[in-house]
Amino acid sequence: MFSDFVEGTLVARDKSALEQHLAACIQCRTDLESFRRAVGSLGKLKQAAPPRFLPDIQQQIYKRSHGRFFGRRWKLFGRIPFEWVSLATIIAMLIYYIAMLHGTPVGVRGP
Amino acid sequence: MSVAERLLIARLKERDEQAFGEIVRLYGDKVFSLVYRMIGSRAEAEDIAQEVFITVFKTVDGFRGEAKFSTWLLRIAANQSKNRIKYLARRATDPEGLDEGTLAAATPHIAPLSGRIEGPDVMIEAAELDGLLQKAIAELDDEQRLLVILRDVEELSYQEIGEITALPEGTIKSRLHRARMAIKEWLDRHTR
Repeated sequence: MFSDFVEGTLVARDKSALEQHLAACIQCRTDLESFRRAVGSLGKLKQAAPPRFLPDIQQQIYKRSHGRFFGRRWKLFGRIPFEWVSLATIIAMLIYYIAMLHGTPVGVRGP
Repeated sequence: MSVAERLLIARLKERDEQAFGEIVRLYGDKVFSLVYRMIGSRAEAEDIAQEVFITVFKTVDGFRGEAKFSTWLLRIAANQSKNRIKYLARRATDPEGLDEGTLAAATPHIAPLSGRIEGPDVMIEAAELDGLLQKAIAELDDEQRLLVILRDVEELSYQEIGEITALPEGTIKSRLHRARMAIKEWLDRHTR
């Protein structure tokens, strides 16, 4: 009944009966007070996570995913942009191929 | 669940690293606090709380949004804490390397107490009060301890506690009351 009384969920009739009893019984008043103090103190037990909590988790996931997640980020591009690196390589090869087709081969003299 | 939370979860399901960071910043303290109070050892709690978020990162696709995300997350934290307590209890015969808090959590009914603490002024000191309360809740069984932490430490509603523990409200209330009375009596005994 103490729990309902402290949480304010005791129905009116029971609340009134308990209050009447408390008015006459010093032992129950003392018990209620120490119950209320104990329950109230529990709210102070909240505990903050350690400061390196997030970096430590990220490092764990990085290790377990073999570097797939939470890897080192490049300053300009974020993750290594493999798609763009591949595209740039293809374009460079294409330019080189075209230059080879139209340019004068090295070491070959004209007529 | 709010729209912002839905969007955050959707990003997390795409393994968005920033979304994951936000989730840890939002719920890290709550998860750590729950686990720490369940286990009673900082080192163990750090390890378990990290595992909770790693599990979330891996299994977030299984979250269907029927309950609140925080409830789903705390259920994982509660289950992992209970599993670790069982594991530590099995290892309790070989207690090398476990600190007092861990042992108390692993063997709540036989945890030795170093004498009585005399004088009501002890209660005034916040740090000592913290220690006393931790010892008091370590005396409870796992289920009672979880209920006290969820209701009186984390201040969750009975509905949220029901979703986490899968217990009906009446059962939660009666077990919680017994747990609170046990804490009160423990404190009465050890602070007089």
